[in-house]
Amino acid sequence: MTSQATETASSMTTDGGALLRIDKIVKNYGPNTVLKDVSFSIGKGEVVGLLGDNGAGKSTLVKIMSGVVPMTSGQYFWDGEELPKVTRPETERRGVETIFQDSALIPTMSITRNIFAGREITNRFGFMKIKEMDEITTEILDSVVHIEGIKSAKQLVGSLSGGQAQAVAIARAVHFKRSLLILDEPTSALAVRATEALLNYLLQLKSEGVSSVLVTHNLHHAYKVCDRHIVMNHGRKILDIRREDTSVEELTAAVVEGAEGIKRFRQGRALA
Amino acid sequence: MVRTQRIERAEMANIKNPTEPVASGPLPTPALAMDETPTRRRLADSRPTTLSGKLKENLYYLRGRGALEIGVVFVVILAAFSVYSAVSPGSFPFLSKDNLSGVLSQSIPALAILGIGVGVLMICGEFDLSVGAMIGFAGVVFIRVSNQTDWVVGLLAAVASTIVIGIVNGLIVVYTRIPSFIATLGMSFFWTGASIFINGLTPATFLPGVRTPEAVNILAGDYGYFRSQIVWMVVIGIVAWFYLHRHKAGNKIYAVGGNAAAAAAVSIKPRAVRLQAFAFLGLMVGLASVLIVGRTSGMQPGTTADYTLLAVAAAVVGGCSLTGGRGSIIGMIVGAALIQTIQNGLILAKAPGFYVQLFLGVAIVIAAVFNKFMEGKAS
Repeated sequence: MTSQATETASSMTTDGGALLRIDKIVKNYGPNTVLKDVSFSIGKGEVVGLLGDNGAGKSTLVKIMSGVVPMTSGQYFWDGEELPKVTRPETERRGVETIFQDSALIPTMSITRNIFAGREITNRFGFMKIKEMDEITTEILDSVVHIEGIKSAKQLVGSLSGGQAQAVAIARAVHFKRSLLILDEPTSALAVRATEALLNYLLQLKSEGVSSVLVTHNLHHAYKVCDRHIVMNHGRKILDIRREDTSVEELTAAVVEGAEGIKRFRQGRALA
Repeated sequence: MVRTQRIERAEMANIKNPTEPVASGPLPTPALAMDETPTRRRLADSRPTTLSGKLKENLYYLRGRGALEIGVVFVVILAAFSVYSAVSPGSFPFLSKDNLSGVLSQSIPALAILGIGVGVLMICGEFDLSVGAMIGFAGVVFIRVSNQTDWVVGLLAAVASTIVIGIVNGLIVVYTRIPSFIATLGMSFFWTGASIFINGLTPATFLPGVRTPEAVNILAGDYGYFRSQIVWMVVIGIVAWFYLHRHKAGNKIYAVGGNAAAAAAVSIKPRAVRLQAFAFLGLMVGLASVLIVGRTSGMQPGTTADYTLLAVAAAVVGGCSLTGGRGSIIGMIVGAALIQTIQNGLILAKAPGFYVQLFLGVAIVIAAVFNKFMEGKAS
């Protein structure tokens, strides 16, 4: 059952020149194996939902994809080419941007300084062109994302609401023309309207050719915007399926009950 | 409740040019405005254009960053002392030449420079308890190398030694991941012991002729109402300001101190940045040590421990946060100046010795509480 579902999806992405492909990734934390032979790929301009219960290995997978945590074994292909060493500077250079749950931004810095942290606009002596950065930030805030209630680019990120901060993080990713956006539980801290805006935003990015991975507990959010869903369970990939071929109910069964749940759901559907 | 108040205040302070339209672009029809998102006020249009508007905006976004509030407090205290002194110069000679030049402009600079070093490290989220020990070590190096060669060589050797010590402390903290508090506590004993090992317990002093007139002039020259050390403080303060507030290296220090994980996610290397902050502290301690020796012309190992906590106090009073990410160079300098001025005022008012400590302690705690309160008001 599981292998069948996996085949359909992987055949779809591997032929079309995947942006990112990971193959047989294993991750051990001490004696614990948190990822067991996980393989999948993400196509260009594709929105992929990464689902699973707590402890399924989603966050570890995100950290490996973004290069923050090294994998124990496995392969990492970018644009068909294998990266010998997956480090954050390597993935950053290729345009992977991760927006972690709560730690995407630096609360004690202004919006401008957050957007340009680590990528400051400087003169050749390394001194920052603050006015220029402020102007660009204002422009980004006005044009890229529609965020309500932000007063100035000089505002501290710590004084923003969760949704505003999330939007700033996304605006940053867009401004630097990232090619793969990984969002780890982006909607968990957001109000309904902000969530709506964020999901629409992912679709807008998709139309611009940006791929994204949406890690979430909320299957309804994921189902709405994702082209494909990957469900993790106890460190294994148990489902990799296109939206057309599944339903929120099936995804729910997979997340809650694992491989057994998928089986039961499909049997139930076949009977009915 | 608090939230709405803050928004209202923000609204009031967000000055827009009254002649400009609130929203740009064509006005939406009422029907559209009902169901669709309302037309937003563009940030680019709501930025202040007048000089006073810009000034107001800048002041608004300086709140809670450390320097502004404590600066106001300092100016008020300075004004109060000055007025009191002008009215009764006999009983409170604050404005006298001897006091301004001999006491204040000798005590503030070294502490301010130490405060800058400790403060920058605190912004980075780290801490160094070995500052006092480093001062002693650098002082011994300064004097002994000067006696062998020349005071300029001695000065450079002293500064180099503290930079090395800073880097060693940094390496221990960064690579072992033990808290910097513990690591530098241990290193504090180590460097105190090392300076006693090199020098012995008797004070190190310059041989006759080593302190040339130029050396005296540059390190402790008396220019009427001020001493040369004030010039050192101003120059170092300006350089440090450009480093911390205008250079990308400084931006990374704030980023790592504010949220190391987020900084790492944008390819900032927290270890390298922390190491740099430790080295910067070393540089500042070396310079401060040279000024302290320049003033006292001697150094006895094991007597400089007080400076550690005074420097931390200067940084905290100046608005640095112990948890990292907050603080400013101007705040650190003002913090040092405030501590020394209050101490000076108490002594001039003939407060007994233990009162000075008592009031100083209260003043530091009040300043820290005040800063914490203002931090919450930052926008």
